Amino acid sequence: MASAPLEGIRVISFGTGAVIPEWGKALGELGADVIKIESRENPDFVRTIGPDMNNIHGFNESNRSQRSFGVNLKKEKGKELVRRLIKTADIVGENFRGGAVRSLGFDYEDVRKTKPDIIYISSQGFGQGTPYTNYQAYGPMLAAASGVLSLWAQPTDPYPVGANVPLPDHMASKQAVFAVLVALDYRRRTGKGQFIDLCQVEVAACIIGEYYLDYSINHRVAAKVGNRNPFAAPYNAYRCRGQDQWCVISVLTNDEWMRFCDAVGNPDWTRDPRFADTVSRLRNVDDLDKLVETWTIEHEPREVMNTLQAAGVAAGMAQRAADTIDDPHTKETKALVELDHPVAGRRLYTNVPYRLSNATLPPSRRAPLLGEHTDEICRELLGMSPEEIRKLTEEGVLDAPSR
Amino acid sequence: MAEQPEGALSVYRVLDLADIKGAYCTRLLADQGAEVIKVERPEGGSPTRSIPPFAGDEPHVERSLQFLYRDANKFGITLDLEPPDGRHLLKKLVETADVLVETYPPGYMESLGLHYEALKEVNPGLVMASITDFGQTGPYRDWKGSSMVHCALSTTMISSGYSDGAPINLPGMPSYDAASLIAATSIMAALYQRATTGSGQYCDISVHECSRLGLYPWMVPIYSYGLNPGSPPPPPEGRLGAAIYPVYPCKDGFVRIVAITPPQWKALVRVLGEPEVLRLPAWQEFMYRIANAADLYALMLEFTTKYTMAELFEAGDREGVPIAPIYSLDDFANSSNAKARGFFVEMDHPVVGKFACPGPPYKWTGTSCSVRRPAPCLGEHNERVYCQEMGLTKDDMAALRLAGII
Repeated sequence: MASAPLEGIRVISFGTGAVIPEWGKALGELGADVIKIESRENPDFVRTIGPDMNNIHGFNESNRSQRSFGVNLKKEKGKELVRRLIKTADIVGENFRGGAVRSLGFDYEDVRKTKPDIIYISSQGFGQGTPYTNYQAYGPMLAAASGVLSLWAQPTDPYPVGANVPLPDHMASKQAVFAVLVALDYRRRTGKGQFIDLCQVEVAACIIGEYYLDYSINHRVAAKVGNRNPFAAPYNAYRCRGQDQWCVISVLTNDEWMRFCDAVGNPDWTRDPRFADTVSRLRNVDDLDKLVETWTIEHEPREVMNTLQAAGVAAGMAQRAADTIDDPHTKETKALVELDHPVAGRRLYTNVPYRLSNATLPPSRRAPLLGEHTDEICRELLGMSPEEIRKLTEEGVLDAPSR
Repeated sequence: MAEQPEGALSVYRVLDLADIKGAYCTRLLADQGAEVIKVERPEGGSPTRSIPPFAGDEPHVERSLQFLYRDANKFGITLDLEPPDGRHLLKKLVETADVLVETYPPGYMESLGLHYEALKEVNPGLVMASITDFGQTGPYRDWKGSSMVHCALSTTMISSGYSDGAPINLPGMPSYDAASLIAATSIMAALYQRATTGSGQYCDISVHECSRLGLYPWMVPIYSYGLNPGSPPPPPEGRLGAAIYPVYPCKDGFVRIVAITPPQWKALVRVLGEPEVLRLPAWQEFMYRIANAADLYALMLEFTTKYTMAELFEAGDREGVPIAPIYSLDDFANSSNAKARGFFVEMDHPVVGKFACPGPPYKWTGTSCSVRRPAPCLGEHNERVYCQEMGLTKDDMAALRLAGII
């Protein structure tokens, strides 16, 4: 059995929020040594959204499988330590507030002086070279600025409100992981590093590329597209038995419609000629959706899903996290992994989302406490003595964990 | 072409047997310069070609917008995998390939003798990725999915929309794109590892699992509090988007305000001209604002409506609070940002003509990353692959075509 694909690769993460932290996690899961640069003075902002910076669940999800190096970048001695660390690194990633790494002396031009073949990815809301390059951007804002939010509503809604899902953050992190792996493979063959300028608002726009083609080719400006499919029915979210319980159903073909009718027990309305074929069903979709709901409302969403899937019809309940945790498929495929964190306690987290036949991946590691690995990084990678470490900690250059 | 930098992956050949679930995976590889060959059934081609809407609203194999977008930058050949001659030709192609991506239901490739164990006999270095709705194992492995089904199961849909209405699907194909991104990542990891080990490997990707991770993984640790005796339960999950990231009307449209930290809230108050009612200290607390979202919304309207989207967007940048205009598609397509970066790339397609296609969401300094060619017409590169490369004669081709194999 082979080792982990990124064994021996070192990654330095100037990450905050979701994108670069989660990027670091994915590289750590592939076996890279990922070092997160943070300090009590300038922590990842997600650490600050609750009273205890080591007990933020979003942080603890996205920052797993990496080490925390508590080092103050406002101090020259801190910068020098990070520069020394970068000499040993292969990849650097940053999504600090626009312009921050430049003022700290760690943008690509600075870093390549230290390490000429470095692979450097910068992930900013609006990318480099635009009027908004330094705009402090968050995912929900980019969903709005990319056109995604304009589609994310029912046609009857006064205006879109989207969700508390910070799209496109968790997509941008995956674009960034793919990108640096491409760059790493290229460097293996050529010896050359490079700079990758990831633009998160474009990550969002890529999700709805087909609508941009509709705009360019068909001169249509799609808006508030909702749940229905203009080309197939029934295709919607249907209310089920219980409090705010829903199941979505996607019937795309006539064959699936016949299966659907059988699964719901062929009540009279399913034989109504108004629903006999796709065109008729689309023409009478309001009535159809109401009738479908007369069936779904009698059943719990999991039952609706199981019944339809058993008949070969695509259906899925609108799961809450508790539902997915208890789901038999989630359990059997080990899609979640239980980890013990000294502050957050035992929790479930998302597991590595792919199965590789010939790689041994390291076990998923819980998120670090702030500064948890400062001491070992100083000793093992920077060759510092306990005396030096103590002195710099007293000077406020290094942060050790507070517990 | 010598002066133009090559794509980072230009040394690799990828066979693409993917429908919409994996189309974006191979598009990602193609944008980096990999030679991606779409292998389509002769009758009607890839299922993606049948997905509406169509260019000019005319149903046609070359006109599906999904195909034109997610299958851009690829080459295309036809091949029926089921007859023995078809399987033989696929194996010949596998000998020349580095990567194969497929999205057939679990067990289908094996039924043809084209599963990984068989193909690695032909090419031990092959990296093969299977992208399926629910993965190769588990009780749901034979279930059917759709982009909306995966959004529902991913826990993102229940948080989407107005609190008193139905949950809303996420627009586009985010579940499939998340799975495609994760598949592309696993392929790159496998190729990188191959340089050391000499052997390829098999990657099993479940759209279901990837959608949870690709869209919003933070809910799982929050709601697994039950593993910890004594942990207080978090508030029930609901559609909180409007409270957390509120959307306000302004003079010429709507803006979304993402004020989370106290300094961001103070900056927002400055942007709105420091109105007395917003300066109450209690409003600085994020949780207080969420708990009193309806009252705050009513107060805010008076101030946001005094400004245009652009004024609020610019002022947010200046003062330090993230405010975004709710752009329609034409607003973004014509935005200074998209133009400055050349995000939309002009394509010229033999059937559809010229159009603007979203390019990759990043710029590379050392290698070329771009969309270089429109999606292939059905069987467009048959002659190039089967004759020029594999040495079949025109007569062989005609016989294969007649037999329905290509």
